[in-house]
Amino acid sequence: MTAATLSPIYRPPSGIWYREVVAELKRTARLPQFLLPTVLTPAAFYGLFTLAVAKSPSPAFAAATLAGYGVFAATGPALFGFGAGVAMEREQGLIELKRVSPMPAGAYVVAKLVASVVTTALALALIDALAILAGVRLSAETWVALTLLHLGSAIPFALIGFGMGMRMSGKGAVAIANALFLGGSVLGGLWIPSAMLPGWMRSLGEVTPSYHLGQLARAIIGVDTIGTPGGHLFAVAAMTAAAIAWAWTGWRKSPA
Amino acid sequence: MTDHLGDVARLTRVSKRLGGRPVLAGLDLGVRAGEVTALLGPNGAGKTTSVSLLTGRIAPDDGAATLFGLDPRRPAARRRMGVMLQSAGLPDVLTVAEVVTLQSGYYPDPRPLAETLALAGLSDLAERRCAALSGGQARRVHYALAICGRPDLLVLDEPTAAMDRGAARALWSTVRTLADEGAAILLTSHDLAEADALADRIVVMDAGRIVADDTSAAIRARAGGSVIRCRSTLTTAVAAHLPAAREGDREGADLRIVTADAVATARALLDVDPALTDLRIADATLEDAIAALLAAGQERIAA
Repeated sequence: MTAATLSPIYRPPSGIWYREVVAELKRTARLPQFLLPTVLTPAAFYGLFTLAVAKSPSPAFAAATLAGYGVFAATGPALFGFGAGVAMEREQGLIELKRVSPMPAGAYVVAKLVASVVTTALALALIDALAILAGVRLSAETWVALTLLHLGSAIPFALIGFGMGMRMSGKGAVAIANALFLGGSVLGGLWIPSAMLPGWMRSLGEVTPSYHLGQLARAIIGVDTIGTPGGHLFAVAAMTAAAIAWAWTGWRKSPA
Repeated sequence: MTDHLGDVARLTRVSKRLGGRPVLAGLDLGVRAGEVTALLGPNGAGKTTSVSLLTGRIAPDDGAATLFGLDPRRPAARRRMGVMLQSAGLPDVLTVAEVVTLQSGYYPDPRPLAETLALAGLSDLAERRCAALSGGQARRVHYALAICGRPDLLVLDEPTAAMDRGAARALWSTVRTLADEGAAILLTSHDLAEADALADRIVVMDAGRIVADDTSAAIRARAGGSVIRCRSTLTTAVAAHLPAAREGDREGADLRIVTADAVATARALLDVDPALTDLRIADATLEDAIAALLAAGQERIAA
C-alpha cells in the first residue's frame, strides 16, 4: 500500500493522458488504410478542382479556396476517426474495456482528438505546400492564424462524431459521417464559395459548422466574406457547445 | 474503505429494468474480501446486470450500488478493481505488452509488466499484436488487464470460456492465490465444475432474485446430498416418495433419485423393486443441486 492508495482524494497516476495519446498515435500510424485516404483526399481535391481545373489559377483564387479546403481537411479525420472509429471500437467492446477501468473518460477523448489533429496537420501540410507552389503568399501571422483555425476546426466535428459513435452502429456512423463530410463541405461553401451557391444551398449550409469555419478562414486571409467574423465565431461557439452536450449525453447513456 | 461488514462491493435493494422488463427487483448482494464468490444461474437470471451495476457500466433505477463505498460510475471507485469482461475486445494493432502497459498506467501501484505477463501466462507473447492472438490467448490478455493494477476486487465474467483445460487450471491457481492474499473475487461462470473448484461461496440467482447463498458443500447437502441411479421399472412418482427422496426422474434408461439420505432411500428402493439392477450411488454434484434448487423455485412460482 502506498500513500496514493490510502489517500481519500483520488489523483490519477500522472501520465495517463500522455500515454493514452501515444497509444492512439501508434494505432493511427499502424492503420495506413485509414490514415492515407484522410490525408491524401483533401490535397487531391484541392489540386484537382482548384489548381488543375482552373488551368493557371491566380494566387488570389488559390488563397481564397485554400481557406475552405483547409477546413475540409480537418472534418475528415474528425468525423471518421471519431464517428466511425468510436462506433467500431464500441462494437468491438473496446470502449467497455475502458469504461470498467479507472481511466478518466477525458483521456480517451483527448487521445483521439490529438490523433485527429495530427492527421489533419499532415493533410494541411500537403494542401499548404500545393498552395505555395501555386503562388499563394501570406504573411507569417496569417499563416499561423489560418493553421490554428484549420486545426481547431477538428474540435466541433470530433465532438459531433463522438456523439454519433456512442449512439450508432459502425456502418450507420460511416454513412452519416460521409453525408456530413461531403454534404457539409458542399453546402458550407468549402469547395465552391458560398457566394456562388444557389440561395437555398447557402441557407442549408448556414446550419453547418463548415460554413462558419470556412467564412472565418476567408476573413483571416482577407477575401470577400459573408457576415461578420464575430457572428461566425459566435455560431461556431454555440454549435461547439451543442456538440459537447451531444457527446456527453452519448457517453453517459450508452450501455456499453 | 469497506461499508458493510467487510463488503468491498455491494448492491443494496437494487431494482433495474432493461428494455421495459424488470431484471432485478430489490436485490441485495455483497462481495467480501479474501473470498471467491461465484454468481450462478440460468441465462436471464440477472447475473450480467448485477456485474454491470457493480462495475459502473449502468446505474440502478432504485437502490444503491457501491464500490469501496463510492459510486462505481466514478473512476476513483474503480481504481482498486480489475475486471475481465467476456464481451470486450482488444485493440488489434497494439502488442500485448503495449496494451498491458497502457492499462497498468491507470492504477496507482501496478505490478511490473513482466510479473503481470508471467501470472497470465503471456511472457512468450509480449511482442505479438492482439490481432494475431487465438481466442484463448486473447482471454489471457483480458485476465492480465484485470490483475495488472493489484486489484482488491477482481471481477471475472466467464473467465475460462474459450480456454483449454490447461490454461483454465493455471488461471484458477492464480485466482486462488490472489484470494488467499486478501482480494475479493466475483466470478460468473457457466462451468459449474469451475465454480465448485474455485468458489468459497456460491450465490445462485433466478429471475432477478437470490435463491441460495452458501458454500458449495452446503448447497449440495441442502439441495440433494446423493444421487441414486439404477435400472428399475418403478415410476418416477413412486421413486420420489421413497423415504428421504427429494425427486425422481428418468435419465435415459436409468431411474434417477436425488436423496438426502442415500442409505434409507436405497434400502426402501430394494424392498419395493427386488428386480432392480445396476445400482449406483454418487454424491450430488453442484449441477444436480442447482438444478434441484431452480426446479423447486419454479414449482413455488407455479403453485
